Amino acid sequence: MKYSQLKEIIKKKASKTEFAIVTNLGNGLSEIYEPAKSLSKEFETHKEQINDFFKLKKNGVIEKTEIFVETYIRPIKVIVVGAVHIAQYLVNFAKSLNFEISIIDPRGYFASEQRFPDIKIINKWPDEAFKEIGTNENSALIALTHDPKIDDPALQHALNKKFYYIGALGSKKTHANRCERLKVAGFSDTQIQSIHGPIGIKLGGRSAPEIALSIIAQLVSETYKK
Amino acid sequence: MKNSFDEKILEEAHDWVKANQKVVLATVIQTWGSSPRQVGSRMIVNEKGDFSGSISGGCVESAVVRECIGLIKDNKPYKKIEFKVSNESAWEVGLACGGEIAVYLEQII
Repeated sequence: MKYSQLKEIIKKKASKTEFAIVTNLGNGLSEIYEPAKSLSKEFETHKEQINDFFKLKKNGVIEKTEIFVETYIRPIKVIVVGAVHIAQYLVNFAKSLNFEISIIDPRGYFASEQRFPDIKIINKWPDEAFKEIGTNENSALIALTHDPKIDDPALQHALNKKFYYIGALGSKKTHANRCERLKVAGFSDTQIQSIHGPIGIKLGGRSAPEIALSIIAQLVSETYKK
Repeated sequence: MKNSFDEKILEEAHDWVKANQKVVLATVIQTWGSSPRQVGSRMIVNEKGDFSGSISGGCVESAVVRECIGLIKDNKPYKKIEFKVSNESAWEVGLACGGEIAVYLEQII
């Protein structure tokens, strides 16, 4: 692989572009594939098969050829509400995972850049903040403030947009009250039951890094169920 | 959206090249039977034999490091290697899990 191509791949990854690397294992040549762009002659003849791999987000050698396809998918958007201690560990765990974390917290003293370097922090109330983040059914929400004023609007947004993962921190009692409020707000039982609350898988730990680990574990597990 | 990880191996390869190291990318391109790492798994190796990432569960990494150093020494751009349990030459580094993998090595030039 040419160094210039490696640089381009890293740039594309950083800009969250979806693409594939196609390599001819027979002669060592490789190129970057994007659906809108054309490829050189030797790869262009296999464009249809390359595109099949790309659509299925699959890696592998195209049958009866020496062409290897490796697809790169956009990271999953994870919105964390509450720039709290647990969020700092979540950010650390997510570094080696394909999650792109944004943090929403209207409380300025929590959401400082010093506490969260290199992370997108939106220092606004959820309703305003979500105008800045495009979300859909491939997004995830982790609500950590257990303050209804901040968590509830975010949960409502996530339910309306059908996020594939919604989790909310809080004891069983806190969660029961939260469910009651969402019911009053007009959400169905199925919708409310889709919220993971209390959040995380059962690890037994109660410290911030342990809770963060249990949340990340649940998020990964739900990602593979999709 | 099936994978939730990003090992950032290519980013690391980039750092190594910037630090004037010769780097070989090793990528799992095919697997048969039970193999520990899936297609697309990567590791990088430099001319000194330092490596990062993985292409198996530690079973064949040492052999891949040797192959990569050889590639740099012979100044070859690429090579394909296979590891099989039945392959006697790979006995020492064979996959204990009984699987087979094909690995593609390419120099960053």
